[in-house]
Amino acid sequence: MREIELSLNQTQKIRLKRALEKLESLSSKANYNSNASVSISDSIPVNHEDGVLKGHGTLDLNGELVATLCGVVERVNKLVYVRALRARYKPEVGDIVVGRVSEVAQKRWRLDIHYSQDAVLMLSSMNLPDGIQRRRTALDELNMRSIFEENDVICAEVRGIQHDGLHLQARSQKYGKLERGQLLTVPPYLVRRRKQHFHHLEQYGVDLILGCNGFIWVGEHVEAKDDMVEDQVSKPEQQNIKSNKNSISLEEQEQTYTPIETRQSICRIANAVRVLSILGFNINIEVIMDTMNLSSSLNLDIHEMLGSEFCVLVAEGEAERRSLTKKKG
Amino acid sequence: MEFVSPEGLRLDGRRPMEMRQIRAEIGAVAKADGSAVFEMGNTKVIAAVYGPREVQNRTQQINDQALVRCEYSMANFSTGDRMRKPKGDRRSTEISLVIRQTMEACILTHLMPRSQIDIFVQVLQADGGTRSACINAATLALADAGIPMRDLVTSCSSGYLNSTPLLDLNYVEDSAGGPDVTVGFLPKVDKVTLLQMDSKLPIDIFENVMQLAIEGCKAIANYIREIMLENTKQLEYRRGI
Amino acid sequence: MLHSKTFVKKTRGGKVNKQVREHYLRDDIYCGAPICKLCDSSAARLSPSASTILLLDTNVVLNQIDLLENPAIDDVVMLSVVLDEVKNKNMGVYNRVRALCSNSLRRFFVFANEHHKDTFVKEMAKESKNDRNDRAIRVAAQWYQSHLGGAARILLITNDKENKRKAIAEGISAETIESYVKSLDRPDLLDLVVQPSSEDVEMEEVEDLRPSKRKVIYTEHKPMSEITSGLHRGIYHQGKLRVNRYNPFEAYVGSESIGDEIIIYGRTNMNRAFDGDIVAVELLPQDQWHEEKSLSIADEEDEEEDVHLVPSSADDAPRTTNLVQGCSGDTNAVSSRPSGCVVGIIKRNWHSYCGSLEPMPLPAGSGGTAHALFVSKDRRIPKIRIHTRQLENLLDKRIIVAVDSWDRLSRYPSGHYVRTIGEIGDRDTESEVVLIENDINSRPFSSQVLACLPPLPWSVSSEDLANPVRQDLRDLRVFSVDPPGCKDIDDALHCTALPSGNFEVGVHIADVTNFVHPGSPLDDEASQRGTSVYLVERRIDMLPKPLTEDICSLRSDVERLAFSVIWEMTPEADIISTRYTKSVIKSCAALSYIEAQARMDDSRLMDPLTTDLRNMNVLAKKMRSRRIERGALTLASAEVKFQIDTETHDPLDIGMYQIREANQMVEEFMLAANVSVADKILKHFSLCSLLRRHPSPTREMLEPLLRTAAAVGLNLDVSSSKALAESLDRAVGDDPYFNKLIRILATRCMTQAVYFCSGDLSPPEYHHYGLAAPLYTHFTSPIRRYADVIVHRLLSASLGIYKLPSIFQDRSQLTSIADNLNYRHRNAQMASRASVELHTLIYFRKRPTDTEARVVKIRSNGFIVFVPKYVF
Repeated sequence: MREIELSLNQTQKIRLKRALEKLESLSSKANYNSNASVSISDSIPVNHEDGVLKGHGTLDLNGELVATLCGVVERVNKLVYVRALRARYKPEVGDIVVGRVSEVAQKRWRLDIHYSQDAVLMLSSMNLPDGIQRRRTALDELNMRSIFEENDVICAEVRGIQHDGLHLQARSQKYGKLERGQLLTVPPYLVRRRKQHFHHLEQYGVDLILGCNGFIWVGEHVEAKDDMVEDQVSKPEQQNIKSNKNSISLEEQEQTYTPIETRQSICRIANAVRVLSILGFNINIEVIMDTMNLSSSLNLDIHEMLGSEFCVLVAEGEAERRSLTKKKG
Repeated sequence: MEFVSPEGLRLDGRRPMEMRQIRAEIGAVAKADGSAVFEMGNTKVIAAVYGPREVQNRTQQINDQALVRCEYSMANFSTGDRMRKPKGDRRSTEISLVIRQTMEACILTHLMPRSQIDIFVQVLQADGGTRSACINAATLALADAGIPMRDLVTSCSSGYLNSTPLLDLNYVEDSAGGPDVTVGFLPKVDKVTLLQMDSKLPIDIFENVMQLAIEGCKAIANYIREIMLENTKQLEYRRGI
Repeated sequence: MLHSKTFVKKTRGGKVNKQVREHYLRDDIYCGAPICKLCDSSAARLSPSASTILLLDTNVVLNQIDLLENPAIDDVVMLSVVLDEVKNKNMGVYNRVRALCSNSLRRFFVFANEHHKDTFVKEMAKESKNDRNDRAIRVAAQWYQSHLGGAARILLITNDKENKRKAIAEGISAETIESYVKSLDRPDLLDLVVQPSSEDVEMEEVEDLRPSKRKVIYTEHKPMSEITSGLHRGIYHQGKLRVNRYNPFEAYVGSESIGDEIIIYGRTNMNRAFDGDIVAVELLPQDQWHEEKSLSIADEEDEEEDVHLVPSSADDAPRTTNLVQGCSGDTNAVSSRPSGCVVGIIKRNWHSYCGSLEPMPLPAGSGGTAHALFVSKDRRIPKIRIHTRQLENLLDKRIIVAVDSWDRLSRYPSGHYVRTIGEIGDRDTESEVVLIENDINSRPFSSQVLACLPPLPWSVSSEDLANPVRQDLRDLRVFSVDPPGCKDIDDALHCTALPSGNFEVGVHIADVTNFVHPGSPLDDEASQRGTSVYLVERRIDMLPKPLTEDICSLRSDVERLAFSVIWEMTPEADIISTRYTKSVIKSCAALSYIEAQARMDDSRLMDPLTTDLRNMNVLAKKMRSRRIERGALTLASAEVKFQIDTETHDPLDIGMYQIREANQMVEEFMLAANVSVADKILKHFSLCSLLRRHPSPTREMLEPLLRTAAAVGLNLDVSSSKALAESLDRAVGDDPYFNKLIRILATRCMTQAVYFCSGDLSPPEYHHYGLAAPLYTHFTSPIRRYADVIVHRLLSASLGIYKLPSIFQDRSQLTSIADNLNYRHRNAQMASRASVELHTLIYFRKRPTDTEARVVKIRSNGFIVFVPKYVF
């Protein structure tokens, strides 16, 4: 039994328990296959006459379909598979992921995206800073580190699985290096695939990227620049910055300074994500904003958001919210 | 020494066929991909699983299956005497190997080629049967990490003292020097994946003793299954739609 | 069902070590009373009509075990807390209580109160272990009271005043053992009650009566903690105290830390230690070593004068002092040996002793209680003071007395009467005493044991004949040679000349394991008895009579099952091949040694049997000389033969047992069979074979022999067994008995051969010194020795006939069997010897005789003579 690790007092315990129970009753009513949860080696009832396609997490054992994972049985037409909950990220083509560079290698970067292997971002599937489509030269290869270094956080898209692993691409200005913000890691199953994974929260001046791999980026808003001319002008400058990072002038610091309000917003949003992740709630933009607003309306300090009281409040709020949507539906 | 009184009670008040109280908890290590705590009476073991992840040492990478590694250790405070044991002593190495082989046998490694799975088990309290508890904890942690497995592996020990087969030996019984059978068992496929014994037993008695350990494994498997199912349900309903 | 309770249980060892044990409390432990409606009464032991159920305190069990064994005490609930305490304090008592609890005739029920959820008590802060246990007993008593709801009276029996007071305060009826026994109205039981020895009770009452007794006679024993630390630091030495058989005021403690024996002179230095106790000894300063002896005797005498006893106390009964003359001879010889005094007793070896009361006038007003002094038959045991109400009945009886305590204010230990054996001097009584003293079970076999016997009359069945593992050897000319009148014939022989000029020689041993199956009650009983015991007038069998005398006995002209060892031998008696097989034989003649000898000597007889005998004799002689060549010793022991009156069983005449060639011949083949079998089983089961070894004697052990020999001007070479054998052969004095005497002395110096489990020792230690054989075991007498039964099983397992019983897997169990066999074997020998002694005495009681004798040893308090005619 996975416990929520919080130090709660007695009343908080009871409140949390009540909220969770409410959630449980809601989901069991809502979910038609609530008893489709299986654990390893449980057999999955199927009608063999209809023909069955075995999907992920299933195994044929002497004519019996058996789960190899703990999760929920899903059926799509003939396909039967087990959707695991707590597991590493399972990439799908087109997923937007956030990753961290673990290695700069021959013509490629390796990225940790919480998959069973490191993902590969080829230099060739990368838009060059100058924005010109051309063959990559040896010089480009040598300058790879000026684009992404080890431990840089990058946003990219899943291109597909090739023989040598998972390939990413970043052929748009919205992908690329992420700076001035926080990277949060949550279990991937909490992030659902949606149409929109990039969110610009204008009122806070913050960008929020919900990577499908459970890596969530909260950072200062950056205008997507697609004017190459400007880029070209600033290119030597940028390179300059790169080459002697340590000697950034005060002036430049001033220029790149993130206002304190923005920083606070970043932290507040990040903590909202953290709370939701602790509670194991689905993470999407609406819930994050609700949580954010709840904390602001309660006039809580940012650090108090991680306290147990706020967690309980969020749980109660979530229970309330879900029961409302349920009634509407 | 009398390990079973004529009234049929063991030193700690159990009957010969009784197991100690077992308790399991999933998710004890926040940063791990999967983790679990498993207790058999006073024996308490924590397991953490990392992976499948990129192979750390490329030379060890296997192209068609996952690399499974296991490290067993005993906390210094786990026994009555606080002995500082060097890491990687023979016993730890042996148990690490035993756990690795047992777990590897049931992980569907071919589904995760070119990756690595690390299992770390540490004994927090030792009171006999640590080997079994480690295997059970590792099973839970692997399941928590969402690693596909052929079947649950559970393990239980049994022994033979005072001409009586005893289930789940505790430390006192274990150190009596009698036969001690540790069985790793796949309940669904009904197969034994691990079988170890110290000392000697005639074959017919051995079969009884082993059968007893298998019954213990089955009971543990039922318990573990329930824990995992309950965990899955919780996660699912908490996440919501 | 399981309630777990974990608690810190003990701290011990050099370091303080916290140990945590689980303790499960249960709700499925039943009360054991059939009247109870709540509990499952299938395992109930108490009687359904019990009006009073007794609960006993630990001390009551520890002290009053003799009383508990009396059937008058019944319907007892033994609490597990009491049993645990008893087990910790005295294993002997624990075993007796356990036997009571498992005896189906007695109504003793064990209630595991420590694991019952309602009766478990947790140790409170500042509560001592004893108080906690007392409280646990009271809680259990209370539980019983409310559980049975007045259907029976629960009576707590305790001699602890405080416990009793608390119990009564808590509403439990409680009594002391004395008052309970009194309430039973059985005066004879009262003697069995051990008087409380705690100083606070007795001494206060007695103080004004016997002021002189207040004098402290013995120094106090050091506390256990001091002893252990002393042992660690090497100040004290631990060892088993052995009292000199001939002088009870002299004892030895074999100490490993010194590597020598420490001599302890006098009762004061022995400080209340009994023979067999494990004691801690402190060495005396070296200058006291050689003087000690005379000093101690002086002490002893001094004290005697000091003691002023009040009439009617047992201590003033006439006292025989056997420490008459001072010493002269061997004091100097022992002066180099360290002497010491006992400072503490680590483990008591108290048990019950046989003996009689010291003659004393009946005190006035008999019927009341009287103190009496008990004199054990075993001279090593001091007199024991007992308390009796039936003095007049006991005065001329052999009785058994158990020791309870010995406090430092009293000269003698105090004990209590257990039971009466019979009249002093009566032959049956004295034989019984011999048996009891040697711990020999002479009870008839139980019905369960007898149920294991095959139905009588038994004969070889067709299945046996058809059995492929059993070879049909009925056509062989098999015969047996035994002492006259022997009924348990377990060996037979055959010898056939082969066309090649070689001989086929077979030794056929009764196939006892065919009837005694491992794990059966019969087997358990036999393994307990270990050996048959031969007394002068009777034989105490290891196996029931039908097996011993009929089914297994290889009598003539009947088909019998056997286990055979068959050799092919050259005429030079070299073994070419050995074969082992189960067989069916038909003995053609059961000869006695005399008959066999007569046949061999009678040159006129040329029948095949006699030829066989002669061939065998030739072979045996060659084997024998070869064995002696290797260094086997021919030792002599004083064997006596009685002619017993068939009517009265009184001895009519005594004589030395005569050894003939025929004896030696049979012996030779038996030895050879044993050696062959030992080889075979060790090859197959190198870790779990039962072998027999005879350790080489050390020079120190042979010291007395050398000294004696030197005294008569004889020089013995003891460097090896061969050298010893040769110098023994040379030791021929002018006296015809001289050589025999020296041999007897040599035998006495040797350690005894012992059984052992081959896994316990390394191969060089397997050596048998006396026979000069690297390997030896016992195979040839399975009817009368259990060791042979085990060896038979090993042999048949090595031939693949049977599976090896599970007991052989457990080396510690096998070792304990070997130990038991050694113990039984030694006891059986002692009993036979004691029986011989007894009959000799009976013989001489009526016939004062003058005969010549030889002085063997001079001691401080007398001398030991050897009477060749009577071997005494």
